[in-house]
Parts: sequence; structure tokens; C-alpha cells
Amino acid sequence: MTSAANRIKPMQPAKKWRFLKTLWDQKWLLVMSVPVLLYVCLFNYYPLWGWRYAFQNLDLYTIKKGADYIGFGNFEWLFKEKYFWLGFRNTLAMSLINLVFGTLASVLLAILLNEVRSRAFKRTVQTVTYLPHFLSMVIVVGMAQNMFVSDGPINTVLMNLGVIDKPIWWLGEGKYFWFLVGLINIWKEVGWNSIIYISTMTSIDPTLYEAAAIDGAGRFNRILHVTLPGIKSTFVVLMIMNIGHLMEAGFEIQYLLGNKQVYDFSQTIDVFVLEYGIQNNKYGRAIAAGMFKSVIGIILLFSANFVAKKLDEDTLL
Amino acid sequence: MRKLLAAVMAIMMVLSCVSFAAADEKPITVTVFRGDPGDQPTEDNRIYKMIEDEFGIKFEIEFLAGDLDETLGTKIAGEDFPDLFDGGNSAEKLINAGALINLLDYISAEKTPNLWKHIEALLPQLVNENGELFIIPNYGINYHEQVVNACNGPAFFIQKQVLAWDNYPEIKTLDQYFDLIERFIAANPTNANGAKYEGFAILCEDWRHFCLINPVQHLMGQPNEGEVYINRTADENGKYAVETFIDKPYAKAYYAKLNEMFNKGLINPDTFTMTYDQYIAKLSAGTVLGMFDQTWDFGTATAALETAKMYENTYVALPLVYDEAYGFGAIEEQYLNGGVPNKDRGFGISVNCEYPERMVNLFENLLSDRWQKILQWGIEGVDYYVENGRMLMTKEQYSVRSDAAWKMANQALTIWESAPKKQGLQDDGNTWAPADQGEILQLTMSDYDKAFLAAYNHGKWADFFNAPCELAPWGEAWQIDKAPMQDDYDKFLLIQDQQLPKIIMSKNAEELDANWDAFVAEIKPYADIYAAFMQDEVNKLAAQATK
Amino acid sequence: MTSVSIKKKGRKPMQRDIVFPIANGIFLCILMFVTLYPVINTVAISFNDGIDAVRGGIGLWPRKFSTEAYNSLLSDKLTWNAFGISVARTVITTLLNLLFTSMLAFALSRKEFVFRKFITLAVVLTMYVNAGLIPNYLLISKTLKLSKTFWVYIIPTMFSCFNMIVIRTYITGLPEALVESARIDGANDMRIFWQIIFPLCMPVLATVALFVAVGSWNQWFDTQLYNGGKKYLHTLQYLLKMKLATSMNTANAANASVDALASQAAAKTTPVTIRCAITVVSALPILVVYPFLQRYFVTGMVLGGVKG
Repeated sequence: MTSAANRIKPMQPAKKWRFLKTLWDQKWLLVMSVPVLLYVCLFNYYPLWGWRYAFQNLDLYTIKKGADYIGFGNFEWLFKEKYFWLGFRNTLAMSLINLVFGTLASVLLAILLNEVRSRAFKRTVQTVTYLPHFLSMVIVVGMAQNMFVSDGPINTVLMNLGVIDKPIWWLGEGKYFWFLVGLINIWKEVGWNSIIYISTMTSIDPTLYEAAAIDGAGRFNRILHVTLPGIKSTFVVLMIMNIGHLMEAGFEIQYLLGNKQVYDFSQTIDVFVLEYGIQNNKYGRAIAAGMFKSVIGIILLFSANFVAKKLDEDTLL
Repeated sequence: MRKLLAAVMAIMMVLSCVSFAAADEKPITVTVFRGDPGDQPTEDNRIYKMIEDEFGIKFEIEFLAGDLDETLGTKIAGEDFPDLFDGGNSAEKLINAGALINLLDYISAEKTPNLWKHIEALLPQLVNENGELFIIPNYGINYHEQVVNACNGPAFFIQKQVLAWDNYPEIKTLDQYFDLIERFIAANPTNANGAKYEGFAILCEDWRHFCLINPVQHLMGQPNEGEVYINRTADENGKYAVETFIDKPYAKAYYAKLNEMFNKGLINPDTFTMTYDQYIAKLSAGTVLGMFDQTWDFGTATAALETAKMYENTYVALPLVYDEAYGFGAIEEQYLNGGVPNKDRGFGISVNCEYPERMVNLFENLLSDRWQKILQWGIEGVDYYVENGRMLMTKEQYSVRSDAAWKMANQALTIWESAPKKQGLQDDGNTWAPADQGEILQLTMSDYDKAFLAAYNHGKWADFFNAPCELAPWGEAWQIDKAPMQDDYDKFLLIQDQQLPKIIMSKNAEELDANWDAFVAEIKPYADIYAAFMQDEVNKLAAQATK
Repeated sequence: MTSVSIKKKGRKPMQRDIVFPIANGIFLCILMFVTLYPVINTVAISFNDGIDAVRGGIGLWPRKFSTEAYNSLLSDKLTWNAFGISVARTVITTLLNLLFTSMLAFALSRKEFVFRKFITLAVVLTMYVNAGLIPNYLLISKTLKLSKTFWVYIIPTMFSCFNMIVIRTYITGLPEALVESARIDGANDMRIFWQIIFPLCMPVLATVALFVAVGSWNQWFDTQLYNGGKKYLHTLQYLLKMKLATSMNTANAANASVDALASQAAAKTTPVTIRCAITVVSALPILVVYPFLQRYFVTGMVLGGVKG
């Protein structure tokens, strides 16, 4: 509120009056939005005083006593650590794979479902494909590990098909790790992630399809000119949000699927923070890494938003 | 029905005896945190009922569902301490944060004779530099003697059928062990179902990597000290020399042997990426002939094999050492160690607790022989019976103790596990733990196992081993808290985890040498820091113990 | 270009309309198989004997049937209490969250709203900053004194930015004329939201309700942090998580107590079966509710009438 008041000051009386009038006109919009604004200030911004820990030599157990300020010591430690940068690389790589292929897969699934005429079939497929979302990562990764062991089904099939002549060590060679993570993530979440697109497609005016049909557009053209434009703004907005989340590759799947043989490829920033921050009781480091992630995330977010604006697409902000 | 009746009678008898004792103290509810997961006891749990009737104390228990350090961290930050606080494996953090009271203010020979007798002899080792004691060990304090029926710790394991196939040979050395496995697999490449045997498995997953990195110290004749080799005879200054073993030539010998086995196809490369679940599945299927591990680590697999009556696929623990031909001298095995007090593990009383004296008195009373019998054995006539002075259980009485639902209603498990307790032998020669009692062991042992032991002329599994040695003044070195040098310690372990499998998978002798040299060069700086740190800690502990 | 060629060969579209649905159907069936197999496998393992299951190799049917895993999860009297708490928190959170989230979404979809940019930015940035565990804990437990109460499940989760954006995008896609004509009729923003926009948003609201409900239902960490010592405030997920942790702890038995080893030998359940049974127990209620939500976003709403 204060920032609004400040902004009013230099205005001419007429302008000021007009602004107050606008506020009065929009009172219901204020009622709908200001409580939530206060809510996020309390629950999301107020605790950020905890970011000061990033500049302290702090462990969880002395938090009450307080700790010494060490300036940028925690950041220096992070930036000097080889595994932090490996984690940074791996996080970006796995997020990108997930973002590109995961989004493509869920849009594709939504489109294919949208083309299904039979309601019962559509609902069945939709229900079945989102089920894996409810399996815990432990179960999913456990199954994947049994599929990909040297003498497991995947290698057997590939060898019988003649694609390879000796078993591939999927789980022990780093170069396969990102690919496996992407595959598992997509399999687990494709149905769940497509729900948003499916629900968006319901808002497409059916008359547009009729009009397209009358124009003689084939199925492909209808998808291209009606369905895709119909979900474009959702797609763009989700894309921008997710680009901002590129620093979040998770840690559960990497932690479960990874082993020390593929460590250089499985380590993400989150796993790194877990191992060298939380488990080692270096709370300051964990917070510093979190701040680093936030800064990168926000930069990515604004960049993506900027690009969308330049392309004249819907934007997030 | 009759049992139930007996139970009710027993409880009523106890009640009538003691109800007056609680009269002068007002009933309280004590909040409890335990740094381990667990099940809430039922409302009508009969042992907790007895405690409530006798002491006027009820418990509100919180268990750990997620990460221990995270949970303790929030509790410390918010000063949300329960009355009884068991910080699990991070309990020293509670002490450092000043969350617990010094128990020695309340314990003395006059006021609390049971507790005093319990800790008196160990006191120099248990207190900190300021002479304070915050937690009485929950395990590891033996009365009369330590009962050792089997090796529950580290050893090389081999399927019983392999020994039986070779007519029960004495296997003492690493080379005999691998030679036997090699011959067995050459004669029997697959089991009866056509599944291929795997000669030797090495579990490397996360903290269970001790299967990969720990064996060398035992081959050199030392019990489990973690990642260091300690000379057990002090030098003229009373110091014990500490060194890391993994970077020494006597470690290379072991991994070179594994490399030889790998190239003979006895070790599967998947062993290095195997998860714990996969490992247990393999062991349970009966296709793994041998491994280095600790008995408790694969109990589920043993249970699975026994349930499936595949007794010949269960494992026997062997204390292997290097052959004299390796040039490390004539080594005598020493796998079993003396009872280790579980220092700083168990209940502490928090500074927020309003009735510390009453809590100490509770532990004092629970440590009496009567209560120890109730907590460990149960109620005579209901949970066990006595014949010729021996405390015994029927098969049903014993097996019901493993039933989770039964335990929630019939044992005061949480309190018992974290409170000080008596182990070893009672004054009349019965064991304190039912599972240690010889008659009960016989009752639960399969005929196959009895015959197997008889073939070796052994009475129990521990007879494969030398008797436990006396516990060193520093306890067991793996217990030492590495927090002050955690970063370097992590690197020290990581390099082993990454490089040792590569060494084992070397294609030939030249590659092995090159890999080994690279490994030693990489790990040297961290090994030096670690060794120096451990040397200091061992010195301190040894000095304190002899004070 | 394509449309031209279609017009030329009159029969081609018909042919395609047969080929595509069949190909599509087959593809979706394969996809269903690939996703369904592990799910059925999980159910099969959950109904298998615990000790037998550790040997692996169970397919679509239990090898040695047993309901022991479910027994151990559901026989505890506290389970039903926890189930009630979970249902209550999920329903209340979902309703409140939908209300606040959709209201803000509507306000921020109005181009003329003066604080639109500022509030959008303030709210969106919350997705990218996180203070970490301790400050959040101190806020909720110490400043707001919500620990050891039911409200700790509700109050911190009443709003979600991601869902707000999803709803806002949906509203932006609705014809602007709807709002304008209502305004000409003299309706204020609140009425426009409640009477016109809200009903039209059913598909997206159902989606968001699903997201919020599943998130709230699956939450166990807040119970651990704030209500671990209050057994009558435990949620189902917390209880299940605890059962799994206990079962894994018995399996590890690193405390080397002889009794623990004996327990292991006679255990009827193992982490393998418990984990699968937990999956079934926690997913089942959602699957039961799911069709009611799915109606809205799969088959869609009849928009035509309003739009005309």
C-alpha cells in the first residue's frame, strides 16, 4: 500500500482524484487480490530473513545461539567445489531433457486423446495413463533398475533384435544416466501433465472445428489450426514458468537411480545440497545454494518472459 | 482363554502389591521423542498399564518418520524439546545444543543404586571432558559376561551347501575361500532350477558400502574399527598407532584377488550398481555363493530362505585372514570384539522437563531385576515359564514376540529400547535377552542347521570364530564422530566408492597396477587428514579410559 | 496446400478417417499397457506374502497370496482416525485454496486492474524463492503458534501460485465480451466472477482441485514437523510413511539386538510389500473421487450456449 501512496504524491490533484476513483471502481478486485498478497508476504517473503544464514557459518544445532558472519564464505566454497558445478551441469541437462521431451509427450498425448471419439475409451485411457503418477519414485525406480540390469529384459530384447551384440551396462555408465532419468520421468508424469492440456482443449469452441471441417480441413489441419492455437497460451505460460524452474531437477530420482559409478552424471544441485549441506550439517551452505538457485531461476524466468513478449505471445508477467 | 485369564490375574496381583507406591505422586503425562521410526502402542498395552499404575506416568510418544537431522534441527531451533529425548544417531548434536541435563546431578550410589552400579565401572569412558553425563547407553552394558552365540557383525559369508559339497572343510584364509567357490561353481554352474550361480557379490549402495571398503582390516586380524587399522599394542608413550588401510599394499592384495575373480567371471559387474533390494532379492533366490557383509544386513534374505526351506542356501559366517604367503606375517583372526557400550545413545532428559528427578527414578526402578524381567521376558506364566530355574518359552510364546501387532499391545518397546537395560547373564545364570537363552536357540533352529553344526563338531555358530577379544580403550573406532572433518571424510569415502570397482574390473595386471597407483595418488591427501584426525581421537579416548 | 489436395481427391479424407482412429487407438492401447503393467504389478506385490516377495520376479498376479501387508497397515485403530484427518484436511484445503486462488486469478486477468503487474510479479516470484526449512518452521510453529493444531494443515496451504496462473490463463482465453456485457448490465466485479466466470471455469477448476487435493492428500511432512507428538492429529500419509520406515528399520536392525534379528525371521511383512500396499491404500481414495472431477475436464462443458 505504501508504494501506491508514494506513487500518488507527485501527481496532479486531478490525476490523484482520478486514481482514487479508479481504486474505488476496482474495490472488488482489490478485495479479491489484496488478502492473497498479504498472505504471500507473510508465508513466502517474511521467512526470507532466513537468507542471512547464507552468510553465516551455521549448523542446524547451534542455530539458536547464532553463528559468525563469514561474508561470502559459503558461496566461495560452493563455487570452488567441483561437484557443485557438475551438479549445476547435470541439473540443467536433466531439466532440459525433461522440459522438452516431457512437454512434447504430454501435448501429444492430449492431442491424441482429443481426437478420440468414444467418451468411454477417452476416459479410460486418460485414467490409466495418469495412474503412474501415484506410484512412489522408489517403486518406479526399482522397477526400472530391474528392467535395465545387464541380463535384464531391455538388453535381452535389444540383443534378440540384433541392435546390440553384447549387453549394455545401462546403470553403470554415466552417459546413459540422463537419458534414463528422462525416460522414467516422462513415463511417470506424461498422463498427469497432459491433464492441463486436456482441460484447456475443452474450452476450445466446437464451432471452430465445424467451421474448419466445412472449409475442408483434414484432421491434421484441424489439429494445426484449431487445437494447437487453442492451447497455445497455456503452453507458453507453462513453458515460461518451467524455464524458471530449470534449476529444479529434483533429487529423489537421481538419489535412487544413481550410484557411485555414475556419480559425475547423477549429482544435481539438490543432491549436492543434501549431501554437503544438510547431511554434513552445514546449513549456511544449503541456504547459499538455495539463493544461487533462486537467482538463476529468476533470471531464466525474466528471459523467457522477455522472449515471449518479443514474439508477441502471451506472457506470464 | 486360559492365558488371558492368567494375564489378568498376574496384572491384578502386581497391582495389588504396588498400587500404594504411586499414591503420593500425581499422575503425569511425559512427552517422548525417539529418533527412530516405530508404532504407537495400543491404548490398552498391558506393560504401559503396569508402568502407569506403579509410577503414575503415561507417555505421549513421537517417532521419527523422515530425516533425523532435519527433525532434530527444527526442534532445536524452536526449542521444542520433549521430556525424554532420544536423538538416535545424532544425539551428540542435542548435547552440543544444550538440550539435555547432566544426569550425574541426580545419580549417586545412595539415591540410585541400580543406575550407579550400572555405569560405575564405565564412568570414565562415558563422561565428557567436563565430567558430565547426558545419556546412559541403551545397549552394550553386560552383566557377568557377554553372551555370544553367533557372529552378528562383519564376516565373509558362504552358502552352507558349498561347504557341505566339499565335505565340511576348514576354511581359514581368503585363498581357500575363493578356491572353494571357484571349484564349486565349476562343478555346479547352475542350481537345480537352471539359474546361474554368482560367485561373490559386493554390495556398494550408499552407506552399505562397508561390504566393499571394510574387509581388509579383518583380513589383517582386526575387529571392526571402520576405515582405520589400529595397532592394538601401545608404544612406549602409551599411544596406539592409527593408519588408514585402504591405500596400503596389504589392501591392494585383496582387490587384486577380487580382480582375479572378476576376470574369471565369478563377480558380475552389476554388483557395483546393485541396490539393496536387488541384493536381498538375489540372496533370497539362493544364487549368490558368497559375500562380505554383516549378519544383520541381510536378515530379510535369511528369513526368506528359511521360510522357503532352502536351508542349504543360507549362509555361514567365516573369519578369513590373509595366507602367510601374502607376506603380511602369520595372522590370527579377531572378528569378534568385546561388548561395546552404545555411548551417547538412548534417552536423555531435556532441559524443558519439569520432573527430571522423577524420570531418573523411573529409570532406576525399571533397572531393577523385577522390571528388567517384565520388560525383556514379560510376565511369568503368560509370556514365559520357569522349569528347574531356567526361564523358557514355548514355540508360540517365542514366535508371537515377532508379531508387530502383538508387540504394540504387549511390550513397552519404546521405553525399553531407549532406557538403560541389563544384558548378559542374570545372577541365576539365565540370560537377560530371551533370544540369547541356549534352550530357546535350540528350539528355533532347523534340523539342517543342527546337522550342519554337528558336522563341524560345533555347538553354536560363534564356534567358527575365536572368542571375543577385550574391548580396546577407544571402543570401536567407527563410532568416533567425524563431524569436524566431514567434508574430507566424504571425499575419502567417495574416492573409494568410485575407484575400487574400477580396480576390481581391470582387464589385466598392468591396468590393475595403473588403476591402483592412480587411486592411491588421488586418495592420499584425504587419507592423511583422516588418519591424523583419527589418531588424535583415539589418543584422547585412550587417555580418558585409563584416567 | 493440403486442403487443396484433399478437395481434389474426394475419397481420401474418408480413408484417413479410418486409418487415423485405428492407429491412434492401437497406440493408446500400447501406452495403456505400458503404464498399466507396473501399476498392476504393484497391486500384485501388495497382495503377496512379504518374505516371499523379497525374492522378486512377481508379475501380474501374487505368487503367494497374503493380505498381511494390508492387515498391518489397517489393523491399527489410529489408521481410521488418521484417515478422517486426511479427508478433512484435503476437503477444507481444496475448497479454500480454490476460492482464494481463483479469486486472485480473476482479479489478475482484468487488464484494467491497477495493481495487476505488481501483484502478479509479487506472487509469481514466490515460486522461485524459498527461505528453507528453519525460518518457515519458526514462522508457523513459534510466530503463528499453529503447531499441535489441525489448522497447521490448512492455513499454510490456502493459496498456490502455479494454479493461479493456470486459472488466469484459462480465464484470459474466455471471450472478453462476456465480462463487458455483464458490466453494461450493471454487475460488479464480484458478481461477474461468481455468476459468470466461476461456472465457466469448471474444467480448469476441476483440474486445479485435483492438483490441490492430491498435493494435500499426499502431504506427510507437515505432520512430522508440527504434529508428530499428537497421535490423534496424525494424517494417513504420515502413518503410512511411519509404517514403512518402521518396517525398513526392522529389516536393517543395525542396533544389533538379538531380538530384532529374531523378529526379522518371523516378520510377515517386508518393506517391499508394505511399500506397494501403501501405494494402493493412498491412491485408492483419489481414484474413487477422480471420475467426478474427470467429467469436467475430459468431456468438457457446453460452452456454446453462453457464447452464442
